Amino acid sequence: MSARRFVVPGEEVASGRVKLGEGVYREGDRVYAAVLGLLDTSRGVVRVVSLAGRYYPKVGDFVIGTVTGTIYETAWSVDISSPYTAILNSSDFYREVDPFRVPLMKVMRPGTAIYAYVREVAPTKGVYLTMKQRGCRILKGGRLVEISPAKVPRVIGRKRSMLGMLTKETGCRILVGQNGIIWVSCRSTGMEDLVERAVRKIEAEAHTSGLTDRIKEMIVRERERV
Amino acid sequence: MKAGEPEEFIVDGRRLDGRRMDELRPLKIEAGVLKRADGSAYVEWGGNKVLAACYGPKEIHPRHEANPKRAVLRTYYSMAPFSVYERKRPGPDRRSMEISKVTRQALESVVFTHLYPMTAIDVFIEILQAQAGTRCAGITAASVALADAGIPMRDLVPACAAGKVGGHIVLDLFDVEDNYGEADLPVAIVPRTGEICLMQMDGNLTQEEFEQAFELAIKGCMQVYEKQKEALRKAYEKRSEE
Repeated sequence: MSARRFVVPGEEVASGRVKLGEGVYREGDRVYAAVLGLLDTSRGVVRVVSLAGRYYPKVGDFVIGTVTGTIYETAWSVDISSPYTAILNSSDFYREVDPFRVPLMKVMRPGTAIYAYVREVAPTKGVYLTMKQRGCRILKGGRLVEISPAKVPRVIGRKRSMLGMLTKETGCRILVGQNGIIWVSCRSTGMEDLVERAVRKIEAEAHTSGLTDRIKEMIVRERERV
Repeated sequence: MKAGEPEEFIVDGRRLDGRRMDELRPLKIEAGVLKRADGSAYVEWGGNKVLAACYGPKEIHPRHEANPKRAVLRTYYSMAPFSVYERKRPGPDRRSMEISKVTRQALESVVFTHLYPMTAIDVFIEILQAQAGTRCAGITAASVALADAGIPMRDLVPACAAGKVGGHIVLDLFDVEDNYGEADLPVAIVPRTGEICLMQMDGNLTQEEFEQAFELAIKGCMQVYEKQKEALRKAYEKRSEE
């Protein structure tokens, strides 16, 4: 990883005519950091990569959520661990359902985990999901591990290196939601424990280098005992 | 003269606790001290011990309090029963509600609330031990906790008081000076722009004295500001090492 400068809110990060990315704001001719994070000025855009914070829904993200207890006549409400509860309309379910013939409660009960796509974020902050995208489905079995959304890119790794390694070395099925929820399904709970520990380690050591190798070492060492 | 009041506030150019007129009490700030909260900070400022925790942005309850244009900032200032000499009856009272309100207004001026409409950001300030100047310590801790939670804001908000004791303008009053002194002037600022986001006054100052005290308070704020930035940087380095 390149050495990026640590900045705090209010710190000046650029001036003049520059393109602004996330985590910065302009006042007059100068640009300041708005969040605590690492300054990135690559590709002609000034931005601050936040080190903390909750998930803020963005169209085009794949997220993992759980169906909440509030099920409407024609839609589910889904907790995506963000300030805004998401809505999944029955017409956005991955297969045809007629909510007037089959109650939605019978299709997905509260607590069901799903892998879904953020279709729309309305100006009023209504978040709409759809499961009519490749890969979207109900997640049966396994477990959900929640981490800080700021650490998600590290769990995936550059060109999916970390995620690819985890899947290959453990033989588990792993899905990572942009909202910081990770679904892990293995043949044994022992292996799921191991993956969960690995994910927690990645989260804790997200800003260190050579992490993929260390995690791989840890998995190879500990999977014998599982 | 009231019981417990010192005869002299200034002896040989030094204050009762040995400080010079323009000297802060020892200040220590630590960020990210709580695991369960989204962001947190601990401040030790002389005899003050303050813990601040921040949650959010999160879904707002009760729902009717939601603002479709911006996030609602809610602050809760509370003193522990054991924070003072005589046990304080726990729970909100007139004073803590006032301090919660002025703290909220001070922080609202820097937080980019428009980015998170329909949500709430909660800040809890707990005074574990008090030695005067807790509202300043509270605001100082709260703004570090907000930054630690990754909440976008224009700047950190340092706060510091100045006042008048025994005819002298001094910085950062401690309890004896606060109780028996002539005036107390807590100030919070946005350091980058110099905006004032909190200013209260207890007691009387002439215009000249006020100007002098105000300037001194600003200088104090700038010192606090440096400590706040240092605390956030240290928390980051500590996490990187582990």
